[in-house]
Amino acid sequence: MRIVGIALLSLCSVAVHGQTEIDLADGKATFRGNCAFCHGITGGGGRGPVLSSGRFLHGSTADDIKNVIRSGVPGTTMPAFEFEKDELDHLVAYVRAWSAPSAKAASTAPIVGDAAKGRQVYEGSGCAGCHRIGSEGSVFGPELTRIGAGRSAEYIRESLVNPSADIPEEYAGVTIIARDGKRITGVRVNEDTFSVQLRDASQNFRMFQKDEVQQVAHETKSLMPAYSSLSKDDLQNLLAYLDSLRGDLNAGAGVKKEKGIR
Amino acid sequence: MKRAAAIFCLALAPLLPAQNVTYERLVHALDEQQNWLTHWGDYSAVRHRDLKQIDTSNVKNLRVDWIFQTGQAGSFETVPLVVDGVMYLTGGNGFAYALDARSGRQLWMYKHSFPPGRKGNGVNRGFAILGNRLFMVTPDANVVALDARTGRLLWQTEMASFNNGQYTATLAPLVIRDKVIVGISGAELGIRGFIDAYDAATGKRVWRFWTVPAKGEPGGDTWLADSWKRGGGSTWMTGTYDPQLNTLYWGVGNPGPDLYGESRKGDNLYTCSLVALDPDTGKLKWHFQFTPHDMHDWDAAETPMLLDLKWKGRDRKLVVQANRNAFFYVLDRETGEFLMGKPFARQNWATELDAKGRPILMKNQEPSPEGSQVCPGLAGAANFMAPSYNPETKLFYFAVREQCDVYYTNAPVYIEGRPYWGSVSRGVTEEPEWGLLKALDPLTGETKWDYRYFHAPWAGTLSTAGGLIFAGDNDGYVMAFDAKTGKNFWKMYTGNPIVNSPMTYMVKGRQYVTMPSGSAVLTFALPE
Repeated sequence: MRIVGIALLSLCSVAVHGQTEIDLADGKATFRGNCAFCHGITGGGGRGPVLSSGRFLHGSTADDIKNVIRSGVPGTTMPAFEFEKDELDHLVAYVRAWSAPSAKAASTAPIVGDAAKGRQVYEGSGCAGCHRIGSEGSVFGPELTRIGAGRSAEYIRESLVNPSADIPEEYAGVTIIARDGKRITGVRVNEDTFSVQLRDASQNFRMFQKDEVQQVAHETKSLMPAYSSLSKDDLQNLLAYLDSLRGDLNAGAGVKKEKGIR
Repeated sequence: MKRAAAIFCLALAPLLPAQNVTYERLVHALDEQQNWLTHWGDYSAVRHRDLKQIDTSNVKNLRVDWIFQTGQAGSFETVPLVVDGVMYLTGGNGFAYALDARSGRQLWMYKHSFPPGRKGNGVNRGFAILGNRLFMVTPDANVVALDARTGRLLWQTEMASFNNGQYTATLAPLVIRDKVIVGISGAELGIRGFIDAYDAATGKRVWRFWTVPAKGEPGGDTWLADSWKRGGGSTWMTGTYDPQLNTLYWGVGNPGPDLYGESRKGDNLYTCSLVALDPDTGKLKWHFQFTPHDMHDWDAAETPMLLDLKWKGRDRKLVVQANRNAFFYVLDRETGEFLMGKPFARQNWATELDAKGRPILMKNQEPSPEGSQVCPGLAGAANFMAPSYNPETKLFYFAVREQCDVYYTNAPVYIEGRPYWGSVSRGVTEEPEWGLLKALDPLTGETKWDYRYFHAPWAGTLSTAGGLIFAGDNDGYVMAFDAKTGKNFWKMYTGNPIVNSPMTYMVKGRQYVTMPSGSAVLTFALPE
């Protein structure tokens, strides 16, 4: 018995931030099962923000991060999680270990590029026809007010050159082929076994019963065109501009409400 | 004065007429087509009724006749009983009601009393009846007997110590002769499962069958070390019964921890199995394990339906089950012999079943620390929603979930009353889920027709002699289909996912169909 006790003690003595390796392994398992899907298996970001850079959007203390996990982030896809206290402690310790001074964290260097020129690329490429920043632009596509805070640069780059790589469910494209052959494309608001409701590019709701149309086609490609033809510099500058967008979460809330977007 | 007071009291405590639902009536429940006397409608769970007032020609006129609002939050999973014009149902969270089955008006209400500090929320799936007594279980793992005439509590017995919510119960009991047979839930929290029988008159426990054998008992060697003590094996759905063979059939849940198998190496009997028991003693007659050493939560709680069919030229007594693991099974219910197993949904975990029905596993189907994508998902290709069988079309009708998950695994720590899962699963979001209403030939496992739902369903089916299959989907539609072709004749949007199975009954010459949705009981009929 004594020997086991000593063995455990020595195992427990390898501590990071006061956490044992066992605790961190527990945090890792919790992270992989609950968080990695959006934040990447090593915290590099994806649909959710980067967690390995040391920059946390809502504060970097353990309590700040716990608050975000417990309450979620309203207006984003980050839900509230119910973890037991020790589970949450281990999870947060695991996440914070990435940005510990001793850890080789992911690069925190800002995106190379000229954000001012990038803004011109944004304005010149018709992006505002679908997206909006604050209250400027359209509500057809995802809001970009805080895109730099919420997505990794790699994710934004992929969304520009290959937007079909990851289509958020709330922006799934649907094309209705009417009985007369007419096609109506829009973002899916609702769909069930018998009916489908869309928001078309003019922000009008369109409603269909499936037995009254020829076909309901689910777009496998994003409704956003791929901007792969941008020059290398334009792309880099646009990326720098988008990465700089870290505005207030509620900046465009009024427009969204006005347009009936959930 | 005295006399006036007596009359007054009588008026305060009205009595419903005596029901006198004898065991003989339960055995012959299908002879009372107007009633619905057991959770599954009868002991065999065919869920087919010889009622044809509502048929393929007039079902388009079906409309809501009455709505009863329970006001109870939570998933509404009860299947009501109907006995001679009175509907008895449980409402979740310890509530239960008796209603006038023609009008939906409440006759009495019962509220289970929870000890202080005990959470009283939880789903419930319904009543069993014997004589004038109704039996239900509660979220805090009690069996309760009520007077069917008044809703008065007659007795209450704790099945297992509550242990901070570790032991719970949700199923509708099954009455056999003078015994109330019930099961337990909690495999997700580290319980050791069982099936119990209680004396209907006194509430005293008569026998217990442990679904996880102890070390040294037959099957005990299928558990590593002491893992059997928290081995799971919930029995959270009602079984079926063959009165001639005097055999009880009960599906057993998954082993625990759900997604972590290292600590419980072995086949883990009798989890994910069908057990055949002697209802008088609780002794095991035979067992068949669908998923040995399960790590995907694919329990075997789905309805074990009893069918007498000509199997390869010979009349045989069969038990069939569309299992959560995506295979449809046919067994001989006298011996437990495996006769057939065919996949009915997408699956990527077993290459095939061997001659004895044991799955031959594919590679990389086990949950992993990095996540393994496996079909079906954790909720299974089938689940608690009831199937039905139509003796005219000779088809088995059931709801299929087409959905896959990424399964993670990790060694869990046991703490009383807390999840003991061994990690988590999440949906594969790169591909949408969907569902099917499927009509399957139970003799071949082949699909005769199917009807696609936009989302994976949680609602069962009902078959009627009107040539109809009633069903529900997860967007909230109650629907009626042609039993022969799968053509959709009728639908109604109820505004809440349907997590239930429809039933039908008749009062004073009028046929009704009931399907709860949200916190309401919706009852449909043709216009008068």
